[in-house]
Amino acid sequence: MTTSVSIDSVTKRFGDSTAVDNVSFDIAKGEFFTLLGSSGCGKTTLLRMVAGFMRQTSGNIRFDGKIIDDVPPHQRNTGMVFQNYAIFPHLTVFDNVAYGLRARRRGKAEIDREVKRMLELVRLDHLTHRRPRELSGGQQQRVVLARAMVIQPDVLLMDEPLSNLDTEMRIHLRSEIRSLQRQIGITTIYVTHDQEEALLMSDRIAVMSRGRIEQLDVPHKIYAEPKTLFVAGFIGENNLLPGTVIARDADGSSLIELPGGHRVRGMGGVDAAGQPCLVSIRPQDIDLGAPGGARETGIDGTVTDIQFLGGTVKLLVEIGADKPITVSLQGRRGMDMPEAGSPLRLDVPLQAVRTFKPEARA
Amino acid sequence: MTTLSTSPNAPGRMQVAIGRLFDFWPLVTVGALVITTLLLLLPVYNIIGLSFSGTEAGKSVFENYAMFFSEPYYYRSLINSFIVSLSATVLALLVGIPAAYFVSRYNIWARSLIKTIVVLTFVSPPFIGSYSWVILLGRSGVLTRFFGEYGIPLPSIYGAPGIIFVFTLQFFPFVFLLVSSGLKSIDQSVEDAARNLGSGEFATFVKVIAPLLLPSITTAGLLVFVAAFTDLGTPLILGEKFRVLPLLIYGEFVNDFGGQPVLASTLSVLLLAVTTGALLLQRWLSARFSHATSAIRPLTMQEPRPAKRLAAAAYVYCLMAVAILPLVNIVISSFLKANGPVLTAQLSLENYRRIAGTISRPLWNTILFTSTATLACAVVGTLIAYIIVRRPGRIGALLDTIVMFSYAVPGIVLGVGLVVTYHHPPFALTGTALILIMAYFIRRLPFSVRSSASSLQQLSRDTEEASVNLGAGPAVTFVKVTVPLLSMAILSGVLLTWSNTIRELSATLILQSGSTATVSIEIFNEVVNGNFGVASALGSVLILLTFLPLLVLFTFMGKNEEALV
Repeated sequence: MTTSVSIDSVTKRFGDSTAVDNVSFDIAKGEFFTLLGSSGCGKTTLLRMVAGFMRQTSGNIRFDGKIIDDVPPHQRNTGMVFQNYAIFPHLTVFDNVAYGLRARRRGKAEIDREVKRMLELVRLDHLTHRRPRELSGGQQQRVVLARAMVIQPDVLLMDEPLSNLDTEMRIHLRSEIRSLQRQIGITTIYVTHDQEEALLMSDRIAVMSRGRIEQLDVPHKIYAEPKTLFVAGFIGENNLLPGTVIARDADGSSLIELPGGHRVRGMGGVDAAGQPCLVSIRPQDIDLGAPGGARETGIDGTVTDIQFLGGTVKLLVEIGADKPITVSLQGRRGMDMPEAGSPLRLDVPLQAVRTFKPEARA
Repeated sequence: MTTLSTSPNAPGRMQVAIGRLFDFWPLVTVGALVITTLLLLLPVYNIIGLSFSGTEAGKSVFENYAMFFSEPYYYRSLINSFIVSLSATVLALLVGIPAAYFVSRYNIWARSLIKTIVVLTFVSPPFIGSYSWVILLGRSGVLTRFFGEYGIPLPSIYGAPGIIFVFTLQFFPFVFLLVSSGLKSIDQSVEDAARNLGSGEFATFVKVIAPLLLPSITTAGLLVFVAAFTDLGTPLILGEKFRVLPLLIYGEFVNDFGGQPVLASTLSVLLLAVTTGALLLQRWLSARFSHATSAIRPLTMQEPRPAKRLAAAAYVYCLMAVAILPLVNIVISSFLKANGPVLTAQLSLENYRRIAGTISRPLWNTILFTSTATLACAVVGTLIAYIIVRRPGRIGALLDTIVMFSYAVPGIVLGVGLVVTYHHPPFALTGTALILIMAYFIRRLPFSVRSSASSLQQLSRDTEEASVNLGAGPAVTFVKVTVPLLSMAILSGVLLTWSNTIRELSATLILQSGSTATVSIEIFNEVVNGNFGVASALGSVLILLTFLPLLVLFTFMGKNEEALV
């Protein structure tokens, strides 16, 4: 039955290049764990090592504490869902789903029962005897999902399972996958480059870049408290500005001067006063204040462009830095629409400002 | 994080490593290496060894080669081989390139009939073409006598000119098919750009199209060269006093029969050196000239002026008429009453009646040997293709090289090598059906490997990995997933192998004994004995057997004639 997974100092090198660089983490039983990153970050390589299709250069992989490095892929009892389905085109829906049970030499009655149950679960019981080419992309992916789960794998592995589907099907299937996973309670490793998918579905997310884990945390922490500059830039929209730490207070916050002489207070990893740093501020965390008046913090600027997107309104505000700051406002009934060219004062709450060391830039 | 990791101990790892050796694919790899070594490398090694062995003690190991290059009788044959092969190559290119261009680019009439004729010419056995030309243009040939009555002497079909003539007609389809497919990979925009910049059609062809076709042209040229250089049947029928290298090998082999074919081996090594060199040259040239273009919008059909269209059509029709003439002649003369080598104008089924009693044995042999070798090719070829494509590495590359080397070994050389290797107990296989099947198998193996490998490359690995992931081992996955997904490619490979193997002559001439004679051998014997009528009837049967699988391939499997090359 379902197990916990440990990745212990796993490194994978291909010749001179390092695809996965000394990665370690544990996944709990029944957890939905996501590896998030752009292409080439090593997430798929890591997944394929868990499946046993590749062997790591060093380190160990454990299921329930047992090292499985020498177990060949067909004996690992993982269920894998592939990006381009990998449906068996020459077999019917039923035979596709029954494949793993037959490989395990289960009895005919059991196979019939289990396949039927699983096809009902993914709501494909009316298509049992169809050929894959008669199915839509979403239906094919559900077949593959049923095929992977019917064998009651120790771990469910999903490699960008939704990326070949159209938007509507993707949105529909991601909640379906999540609810199925909860229902069965199966440990799942999910690989994706789509941050929305990752934030929505996961119990925990590991953000990967260049073979390393940048941050591993629950989704809202990943979003709200990026630990590295890479995560701050990769997840969601962010204003990234160069700055200098002027002073550091006892409460751990620091006073930062931005280009144009504006000052903000922020939290983060830069300690000493006088150090250069990079500041990230989410567009929706910025409040509009009244212009004028001298205060310790706040940013004065001029609206240069207004982008009306329906539910939100984006303002580009020129503040005397290299590029304007983006401010995102909720579009509400009766709201005052700022005009291009009008002066604005931007207030940024302490928690919204995060500072990073500039050399950490990816 | 678990820090109390027990690192796997060394003996455990060793056992796993040893265990892996007995896994499915390592076993198959070893098997493939053993088979190719026994059927290909060992025979070649043995003839090379024999070629350096002296008949008398104390002489140089190069004795045989020294003799070859000092005796005009011997070295002259090498020169002759080069003369006929190079001439045929140049002529086939000159004849084939315009034909392919006209058929691909101009809307001349009956283009599918033209392609059918090319295919028929291509797959018909060269020796049948040769003796058909003897019927037509021989000393008492139909055309010779016809024109003789009007006092017009026709050129002789015998000797070097005749061989070059038949080779050109027999092998220009290589050029036609490769250049046609090369033209398909050129984008129309390339031609448009050249025309737009002020080049006329001919200048565009010479300056833009032909350079892009160079990989196809060089490949075709070298294939024609190798085919002409290694052909035994045509010089055997038309050569008379003009001797080429394969002819000498056959002659020496027959002379030495029973003893060690030292001289035949020496000549074989020389022949092998030339073909290997030609194929290495072809690999190098096609890598050098490859432009890796792919056409988004291939060259379109043109509508030339009526005069141009007529002239192009007339050229192509004349060429096709001459190319198909020997085959038409065989079929017609098979229904004519024969008086020894002279055919009368009387229709009759006598030839078929005469072969009805004797054909069953050779026909059965032909079908049995061909089918067995074809099946072996399909199975072993697909397994080897899998190793090469899916398990790349040093051993895969080695296997790839060995298989492609078998492409370079001419049938007659392989025949001599197999006899040298398997003549003595406990492996005395000469004269058996097995040795013929072995020869056919290894000769066609590279084609099966290539056809399966190219389909496998287009097949996503994911499907096989899904099967492994679901608990099926490597062997089960291969049988239950890979093979079904490759089934169309394997089947079309089988049909091509069958139709190419069934007409084999050179290796068969070396390896057959009376009881293992095939239809090709029977035809050859009848031709030598001057029974042209019977030979024609047998030839018609052979052509039918060759063409039937191709008919299935083209009509039911959606392949086109370019699958042949």
